[in-house]
Formats: sequence, C-alpha cells, structure tokens
Amino acid sequence: MSVETLEPIATTDEPGVFARSGALRRLARDKVAVIATLALLTIGLAAIFAPWVAPYDPYLTDLTIVMQPPSAEHWFGTDNTGRDILSRIIFGTRNTLMLGLVGVIVGGALGGVLGILAAYYPRLDGWIMRLVDVMLAFPAILIGLAVAAIFGAGLAAVVIALVVATVPDVARVARGAAVGVMSQEFMEAGRAVGVSDRTLIWRYLTLNCISTIFVFLTLRFGQIILIGSALGFLGMGAQPPTAELGMMAAQGRDFLFMAPHIATIPSCAIFVIVLAANLLGDALRDVLDPRLQT
Amino acid sequence: MGRQIVHRLLISFPALLGVLFLCFCLLQVVPADPAMIIAGPDAKAETIAAIRLELGLDRPIPVQFAEYIGRVARGDLGRSIISNKMVSEELALTIGPTVELMLGAMLIAVPLGLTLGTLAAVKRGTFVDRLIMAISVAGVSMPVFFIGLILIQYVGFKWGMLPFTGRTGPIWDGGLPSLILPAATLGAVLIGPIARLTRTAVLEVLGADYVRTARAKGLRETVVIVHHALRNALIPVVTLIGLQAAFLLGGAVVTETMFSWPGVGRLAVGAIVSSDFPTAQGAIMILAIAFLSINLLVDVLYVYLDPRVQRT
Repeated sequence: MSVETLEPIATTDEPGVFARSGALRRLARDKVAVIATLALLTIGLAAIFAPWVAPYDPYLTDLTIVMQPPSAEHWFGTDNTGRDILSRIIFGTRNTLMLGLVGVIVGGALGGVLGILAAYYPRLDGWIMRLVDVMLAFPAILIGLAVAAIFGAGLAAVVIALVVATVPDVARVARGAAVGVMSQEFMEAGRAVGVSDRTLIWRYLTLNCISTIFVFLTLRFGQIILIGSALGFLGMGAQPPTAELGMMAAQGRDFLFMAPHIATIPSCAIFVIVLAANLLGDALRDVLDPRLQT
Repeated sequence: MGRQIVHRLLISFPALLGVLFLCFCLLQVVPADPAMIIAGPDAKAETIAAIRLELGLDRPIPVQFAEYIGRVARGDLGRSIISNKMVSEELALTIGPTVELMLGAMLIAVPLGLTLGTLAAVKRGTFVDRLIMAISVAGVSMPVFFIGLILIQYVGFKWGMLPFTGRTGPIWDGGLPSLILPAATLGAVLIGPIARLTRTAVLEVLGADYVRTARAKGLRETVVIVHHALRNALIPVVTLIGLQAAFLLGGAVVTETMFSWPGVGRLAVGAIVSSDFPTAQGAIMILAIAFLSINLLVDVLYVYLDPRVQRT
C-alpha cells in the first residue's frame, strides 16, 4: 500500500479550528478573554523565570522581619519566618501551575487516547467506557488522600490524583467527538483505499478531535488547579519549605489573626489564576467549540 | 428504568472492589511490616510474630484480600494505632457531623443558587444578569479554603459573631451556631454552578409554548416564573446538585480540616498525617462508599424524575 505517499489530508466539513475564519480575531475582540490571556501570560512568564523575577530568595528566613504587612520593600509582606511572600508566591505559582499542567496534559493524553480508541474499535468501547465509569466513581480529593496515604504526601501524590481526575472526563468528551468523526465520509474513503488503522487513527481521527479535547482541557484547567491546591492545603502535596500556593495558605492559617496576609495572599493568587483560566476557557469554547456549552 | 438501575449497580460493584483494594493496600501492603506498626515501636519479637500470624500476613495476597473483605463485611476495620480504639467506633462518631455539614451546605446553597439563577434568567441581558453571572464565575474560581479563611477572620474573629472551631453539639442541642460558618463555606462553592445552570434551564423553558400560554391566560408574571418555568427547569438542576456530591465531599474534607469539624474528612486527613493506617483506610472507605451511594441515588432519581431521558 503506497497510500502513505498520497498524504491524504483528512478534514471534516469544517476547516481546521484555528484556521476557521476569524476565530482568533473574534477572541481578540472579547475584552474579558484578552485580559484573562494577558493575566495568564504574565503569571506564566513570572513562574517560568521565577529565579530572575523574584526580588528575594524564597527560602531565606530573616527573624528580624517576621510577619510584616505589605510594604515598599516587601510588596506582599513577610511570613512567620521573615521570608518574602512575593518571592514565595512567584515560586509557589511555578509549582501550582506545573501540577495543573502535568495533570491536564498527561490526563488529557491518556483520556484522549482511551476515548478515541473506544470510538474506533467498537469491541473495546464497552470495556473502556466501563473503566471510565469506575474512574469517575472516585472524587479527586479522595484519590489524592489515598495516594498520599499509600506513597506518602508529596507533589507526586497530587500529580497522580490530578491525572486520575482528568482521564475519565476527557475520555468521554474525546469519544463523543471521535464518534462524530467516524461517521464522516473521509473515514470510509480512507478505509476503502486501504489506509492502515494507525494512520486512520492518528491522521484522520485524532487530528479532527484534538480541538474539542483542547477546549475541554482549558475548561478543566481551573478546576484541576483548585483540586491540586486543596490537596496542598490539606498537607498532601508539597512539603515545607517548598513553596506551593495551597500549602502556603495552610501555613498562614496558623497566623490568621496576627497577620492575615500570610494566608490570604496565596489564596488570592490561586483565585486569580483559576479565574483567568476559567474566563479564557469560556471564551475559547464560545469561539471554537460551542457544542461543549453546558 | 430497571435496566438503568441494574447498569448502575454493575458499575458500582467494580468501583467498590477498587475502593476496598486501595484500602487493603493501605493496611496490609504499604507498611513495611504492619505487624510491627500495630505492635508498636518497642514490642518484643514474639509479640510481632504472634500478631503476624494472627493477621495472616504469611498467606498469599489474594487470600488476605478475600479475608479483608470478609472482615469489612462484618464491620471490623481494625484498631487505630494512635488511640487504640476500634476504627468502626471512631467512624460512627464522625459520620453524623459530616452529613450535618453537607446538608447544611446544601440548605444554604440550593435556595440561593436557584433564586440567583432564576433572577438572572428573568433579567436576561441586564446589569443584574451580568452581576450574578460574574459572581458565579468568581465563586467557581474560588478555593474553598479562601472563603473559609475570610469567614473565620471577619465573621468569626474580628466581629466575633459566630464560633469557628469545633462543633458544640447536635443542631437540636445548641449546635447550630457552630455549624453556620462551616456550612456557609462549603455551600458557597456550590452557589455558582447551581445559579449558572438554573439560568440556562430557565431561559430554555421561558421560550416554551406552555409559558406563552400561561402568560396569555393573564397569569401574574411571578406565578408564570415560579410555577411554570422554574418547576420545569428543575430537572437538570437536580442532577447537577447530585453530581456536585463529589465536589461537596472533597470540599467537606477541606472545610472540616479548617474548622476542626469532627467529621470523616478531618479524621482521614489526621490519620494520614500521623500514619495511622487502619483509621485512614476506614475513613477513606466510608467516604468512597458514601460517594458511590450518592451517585447511584442521583442516577435512579434522575430516571424517576424524567422518564424521557431513559438511556438504552
């Protein structure tokens, strides 16, 4: 079969999502979406370049300046051991974002593959969807608790919980999208000219499902961050002195009445990240894939 | 309808086995030597050997797992390493407060969410609508503990209006004040999603023929909205409320920990932090089984409420 050399380009009735006329332009006209994107970009860049952006060493304690409220020198104040909170927030955001991204990317990939395989091989469908149902039966926080109990608390426990929490939903969405693509004529045509299963799955099916999965994952990202930071807050995630936003909020709780900023500033940071992610996800969905609307 | 329920039960069974296996791992497989942990740090070698024999740790894992299921079925979850009390007894004390907390949260969130959502739908496109939707997006994006921290700091501490640590007793015995702040914290995260979905559902129904008929009959607008629109919009909302059980259980773990509320979630977290494997295993199992049961109930209720949605 030399079909490979023909380079068949699989398309649905609609052209590729990002190419779809004016999708990006429409997004750019949405003021909320633009602000959310800018906010996420700023936060993301600050997190990536944390060592250069942070004004102080996030682990440097200074017992002469403990629990200082926000000031010109320490914009977000200092914590109970005199560490600069702004610097810790920047480093903490790095860990929190990383948790969310790994959860969404790994969970999204696994879930996407499961969903697409379920749509392509009817014989696997029943088994895969039962597996997904079983996975759905575990709330994410509970998985986090169980994993932390078994392997010990740490970032790894949180990552596992977030991945397990992402997989089943993505698998459902991916399967739904893939079943739609399967009924398109080009799938049949591809099969008729003898395109291999692998090519059919990757070039024809997956490429046509990826935008739906992508939009869904942006919508989930905020939730995943919330779950991750809740596990951090419960002490199941990053261990001190590592900075992670949820854990920082938990530590600040002990000094809530003396220095409320230690706990509220990290909580606020999580709120801003999740809000921006949710707003951007909503806007992206409206532009790219209105079918996902609830 | 029968098929649907059987299907749900069939899904719940492997999930239940999965839960049990996780808990089993926690108890028998994870600790390097459970016998040593149970016996304590300065136990004699004979004691450890006796416990190992008693626990059946010398037998193959599948046999041990089967025996474990048998014990669980009889309600024997082992003894806490820390307090040496039966885990089942400790759990029995914590289930009530957790249920109380979750019901309290629902009682706050459901009426508020329904009202806000309906109001937004009726005032569609106005400032009120946009404000309510903005609040609900903000609510969805807010970590549970953030709301809790704010309530503790202001309502509890600064203004001294309500207690914010522990539970003073059951509701009927003067425990209501101590329930309000935890329930409000947990309920707050639910208001957003409920309001959002109610708005969508009511908007959909408002365009229906029977609503036009009701208006044409000259019924008052309030009657049309409450009796005709809202009632029919309730079906998806009820499902959502049920599906939020996961959210609520997860949130309950955080809320209980924050407010020192003596529930199952706090017991689980405390047990994990102090490596009290038997207690952790029992608490996680109860939470998971509660979640499975709520899901099952919602599915059955859903089919019952709306016969149109019977899946094949």
